[in-house]
Amino acid sequence: MKSHVAWLKRAGIAGLLSIVVSGCSDNNSSFSISDRTRSLIPEAQTGVSEAPGVVKLLDEKFGDPQTLKAWSKLPVQWGGASAKVEVFAADGADAKVKFVAGEGQTFPEKATFVNVVTGAGAGRTLQLSSWDAATGEAVLTGLGGATLAAGDTCSIDGGAVIQSGRVLYMRHCSHCHGTAGDGNGPTAQYLYPRPRDYRHGVFKFTSTNDMSKVSREDLLRVLRYGIPGTYMPSFLLMKDEELTAIVEYVRFLSMRGEFERKLVNELASDYSEEAVESRLKDEQRADIVGELAKFLAEDVPGVVDGIGAELEESWVAADSDEAKIVPSVPRVPDSEESRRRGRELYLSKTLNCADCHGIDGAGNGPQTVAFEKNPITNVPYDEPGLHDVWDNLNQPRNLHTGIFRGGRRPIDLFCRIHAGIKGSRMPSFKNTPHEDIWHIVNYVLSIPFEPEPGATGVASAPAAPATEAAAPAAGE
Amino acid sequence: MKKFWALFFWFWPLVALYVCLIAPGNNWWFPSKPLSTMGHQIDGLFYLILIIVTVTFVGTEFALGYALWMGATKEPGRRAWFSHGSHKLEVVWTIVPAFVLVFISLTQLDVLADIRVLARFPESVKEAPVAEVMARQFEWRIRYPKPGTELMTSPQPGDLYFVNEVHVPATVPTMINLRTQDVQHAFFVPRLRVKQDAVPGLIIPVWFEIEEAGEYELLCAELCGWGHYKMKARIIADSPEGVSAYLTRLEREQNEDGVQEAETASVK
Amino acid sequence: MATITPALETHGHEHEHAHGHHEQTFIQKYVFSTDHKVIGIQFLITTLLMLMVGGALALAVRWQLAFPWENMPIVGKLFGVFQGEGGQISPEFYTMLFTMHASVMIFLVIIPVLAGAFGNFLIPLQIGADDMAFPVLNMLSYWFMWPAIFCFGYSFIAGGATAGPANGWTSYPVLSDIASASPSSGEAQTWWLFGLTLVGVSSMMGSVNYMTTIINMRAPGMTLFRMPLTIWSMFITAILQAFALPVLTAAGFMLVFDRLHTLIPTSIHSVFFVPAGLVVNNAAPTVGGGQPLLWQHLFWFYSHPAVYIMLLPAMGMVSDMLACMCRKPVFGYKPMVYSMAAIAGLGFIVWGHHMFTSGMNPALGMTFMTSTMMIALPSAIKVFNWIGTIWDGDIQFNAVFLNCAAFVALFIVGGLSGIFMAAVPVDIYFHDTYFIVAHFHYVLFGATLFGVFAGVQFWFPKMFGRQMHDGVQKVHFVLTFIGMNGTFFPMHLLGIAGMPRRYADPYLHGYLEHLLPMNQFMTISAIIMGFAQFLLLGNFFYSMFYGKKVGRNPWGANGLEWSAPSPPGHGNFDVPPVCYRGPYEYSGPESEALGQDFILQTTAPPAGVKVASAHH
Repeated sequence: MKSHVAWLKRAGIAGLLSIVVSGCSDNNSSFSISDRTRSLIPEAQTGVSEAPGVVKLLDEKFGDPQTLKAWSKLPVQWGGASAKVEVFAADGADAKVKFVAGEGQTFPEKATFVNVVTGAGAGRTLQLSSWDAATGEAVLTGLGGATLAAGDTCSIDGGAVIQSGRVLYMRHCSHCHGTAGDGNGPTAQYLYPRPRDYRHGVFKFTSTNDMSKVSREDLLRVLRYGIPGTYMPSFLLMKDEELTAIVEYVRFLSMRGEFERKLVNELASDYSEEAVESRLKDEQRADIVGELAKFLAEDVPGVVDGIGAELEESWVAADSDEAKIVPSVPRVPDSEESRRRGRELYLSKTLNCADCHGIDGAGNGPQTVAFEKNPITNVPYDEPGLHDVWDNLNQPRNLHTGIFRGGRRPIDLFCRIHAGIKGSRMPSFKNTPHEDIWHIVNYVLSIPFEPEPGATGVASAPAAPATEAAAPAAGE
Repeated sequence: MKKFWALFFWFWPLVALYVCLIAPGNNWWFPSKPLSTMGHQIDGLFYLILIIVTVTFVGTEFALGYALWMGATKEPGRRAWFSHGSHKLEVVWTIVPAFVLVFISLTQLDVLADIRVLARFPESVKEAPVAEVMARQFEWRIRYPKPGTELMTSPQPGDLYFVNEVHVPATVPTMINLRTQDVQHAFFVPRLRVKQDAVPGLIIPVWFEIEEAGEYELLCAELCGWGHYKMKARIIADSPEGVSAYLTRLEREQNEDGVQEAETASVK
Repeated sequence: MATITPALETHGHEHEHAHGHHEQTFIQKYVFSTDHKVIGIQFLITTLLMLMVGGALALAVRWQLAFPWENMPIVGKLFGVFQGEGGQISPEFYTMLFTMHASVMIFLVIIPVLAGAFGNFLIPLQIGADDMAFPVLNMLSYWFMWPAIFCFGYSFIAGGATAGPANGWTSYPVLSDIASASPSSGEAQTWWLFGLTLVGVSSMMGSVNYMTTIINMRAPGMTLFRMPLTIWSMFITAILQAFALPVLTAAGFMLVFDRLHTLIPTSIHSVFFVPAGLVVNNAAPTVGGGQPLLWQHLFWFYSHPAVYIMLLPAMGMVSDMLACMCRKPVFGYKPMVYSMAAIAGLGFIVWGHHMFTSGMNPALGMTFMTSTMMIALPSAIKVFNWIGTIWDGDIQFNAVFLNCAAFVALFIVGGLSGIFMAAVPVDIYFHDTYFIVAHFHYVLFGATLFGVFAGVQFWFPKMFGRQMHDGVQKVHFVLTFIGMNGTFFPMHLLGIAGMPRRYADPYLHGYLEHLLPMNQFMTISAIIMGFAQFLLLGNFFYSMFYGKKVGRNPWGANGLEWSAPSPPGHGNFDVPPVCYRGPYEYSGPESEALGQDFILQTTAPPAGVKVASAHH
């Protein structure tokens, strides 16, 4: 009797402990792999013998959330600065070191660690117990017998910004935007509209022209002021360094997503499950895999470099002055006349705003009930109405609410009209004269205050057909 | 062993007292001294109750411990005290706490009226609120009236908007209109000791007088969903001139047209 | 005091008629039993298990507060949802944790264990009845708990893995009303409401049974003022249930009707609590016309008496146990009765103190403030009387006594912290901060639950004919006491520091960052406290089969239940009981005459002993 009780007790305790132990063991976060990648055959995903597949390449270039990798091609501020050792003097267990900043590098104000890149201590991470950014003098601890020589290259606080960005992102952003920025965190399914999936490299609310990506400034703006009318809140009270770090990390995630997309694009036509199935009618699987192995080994490295260059170019350009939209004329003063002119343009056949936004701006134009076709697959969507590039239902804005997601300043509305809303069906009207755009802006800003919908009449003077001509505007 | 238990029951109230004594020194106490006029009244009432409660706590816990001690040190064989109670004691320990409680109730009626009863709000405040604070999931959207006009319950052209930061004048009684766009929230400014639930469908006036210019944390204090904890905002109390200057700057920013050199378009 | 002729014959006659000699199957005897003792034990075991569920949820909450956004043990891997995040829970999951912790603890643990377990087991035994007035109703009241448990359990997964009910146990609309307002406001909330309604039905059945039994089925000689305080407390609690519960049920139905269209699309879509024009999560604007505050009034009209439902029975039981363990009468028996009645009565007019910042009319606030202040008075009187009961007693320092002493000590803390919140201006600061959390955990855990721990050990011999191991109970007591105070006392300080409740990550706010170490200390205390409960469970289940066997009255107590066999058979008493005296005549002249320090209520008065008259 007693013995089986004792056994029960032991089993019970063992059971409890095992749950606790298995539940308590390390749990690492991981970047998700996109559905498109999963549509490739397994060999394309993982690789063939020595040649790495998509997943391996992603890991090589970007790492996993615990160990991020910095692909130097990418225009990301990893943080820290590269430096060379000038003087090294051991001081008991510590060492006094003087660093010289690398070419074009500036020392960070604060630093806590050093990654040794070349020399006897290569690969080590040493702690800085003191750091003087002005002179580059520091005291290193945790040497464990390692020595540095003059001329050794190091990275001071290397990756500090991106690491800090990751930590902040996981705390504040990942539950909606997902660990990989795929817009599919645990909370995402409950939100409407859904959180942004960065992996297309497309962001809606930008101040850059329609061909450019989002600038750092735009991302900071979204973080600071939120997106009104959605669950993207304002993080106004975060410190500037924190916001900057998050922006860098979001850009990093976006670049990773784009890299994945572009790489899969190269492989999908020949090596997706669908494609291989139809090929199997004529070819042997082993041959296809052999072909893939050759492709991966010989051509893909070049493809990867090419994608890297593309990313570099597009993301650097987004922050340049050339990309920014600057109206050629100041805003036309808001007046009855201007609003009427704006309404006229709104209703005009060339601009055709009413087709989507409705005749009175209520967001109920004919397009909102039509069955749109997916532009890539040519298959009609299940629900009527307009969709965005992420395949979510994304209906035109009801202009009566006075809620403008990308901001309510006149320049914000100007940018929405000029560049359109990237990723959505709001097209770019960059060929419209800027003065006309201002008229429309004035009209749109006045819509919430109309005595009744549609009360704004058209302009009293007949409109000059200037809207047809493509007026060259400065700053495009 | 018995004495151990009696001492056990004497020991832990002492620990509790000790923790409370060292609490203010360790910053396990109010975030700061109260920085609004009503905050002083609230803290005063708190300390009054704290004193009464501490005396009661010490008295009753000591008595309990003593009763245990008596039991622990009883001569074996001695009978328990056969008593069904004492009418006199019952009367005493009914009347005395009753008086104390009535006293606390009466003391606070004034404070309560000052904070909540519209008729007792300072005259200057009843004229017009300085801003509408609209809580929503999961941020605070602020609407100021166009400088020089009064705040209306519905948005007007020229109204100024901001998010998560409210500028109000210090040392002047100030009122805001608290609303919510979706579910219940609560406007909680700990260092001013201000709290008011935002109820859907209602516009609730909340007044306060901030004594010192500075930044005050504003957070949500009514469960409003998964982002309840994220509603981090601030109240910036400044001189009336400072607030004016801020609103002027805000108006300018709100009318930005992206053309740096050009004059800001004015709204008619 | 008049003597009452025991009506032996009539009682025996009923006994024969009611219980014919039919063979009972296992199902009839142990599963769908109508025997109040079996039902009481069923409730007890179910609630003890639910206690562990509620406790696990609480530990998850504490983990998040101590190690925010780090891998949560077990949970991080249990649902595939959090794998990508490295086991980091999502904010809506946190809101579910505290909501279900409270819901399980309140509706599936505390209310059923007091009324369902102890009420059921003790009432007929202590008043000398052979069973409850309505045995079948009694059986139903237990079996309605399981559909309720199913509904609460299903609600965890109804809308999705992380969409469990998450709107607080208080379930305020508009958050709980509009489906788009929160992930849990889809299906989960509706299932939660079903669970709530079923628990309410179970409670209501119990309440009707208890009131009827206590009024009608007392043994001869058991006048109202000879009833043990346990019975008084159960009686008053049953009255509270009867009057308050219908309001909650009505409110629950109103909320279900507001929401039914999310579950069954073409059904009812009322808007009792929803004003017009709200746009939540970009859903269509609400049609409206309702008032969110209405729910608060209706909900708290029940839930405030509910907190007394969750306290009074424990108060009654503790009085019984203290008298027994100190071998002396309860100090001030009638004041104790009147105080409980006063608490219950006043409990109906204080509900607004949960709504001081809600935006209700401030004049109402003043009236509620006054009544809330007054309700502190009867509680204080009871504390003084308990101390009086222990005073100069011949104390048996066993775990039963220790748990009861802890009840008194910790109830003092809980009651005193309540006074801060009764003062409206101070409540404006403390509402929805950890000060409130400290207060109710002290009264619900520090008081009620310690009373339950004592009661379990005290009446265990009567339930199972064996004794629980006192040494293990003492260890359980020490660990629980230290853990409980370590977890909940600092919450007072957190509240003063302005830390709001229901925050997944309070450290986002600069002025709260420095409170992390304290929260970590609290979590460690909570873990100790949580694991200590396995001692109780282990002792309970082990002793049920292998505990030391005992006779009818191992404690030397006075109540009628101790005159029955341990455990009592079908019909409870082998000798029909007659009551000759009050319940707490320990160490008095009558017991002296018998050469002991107690005398059962059913023992005929010893010859030649003068009993003092009218000693209330």
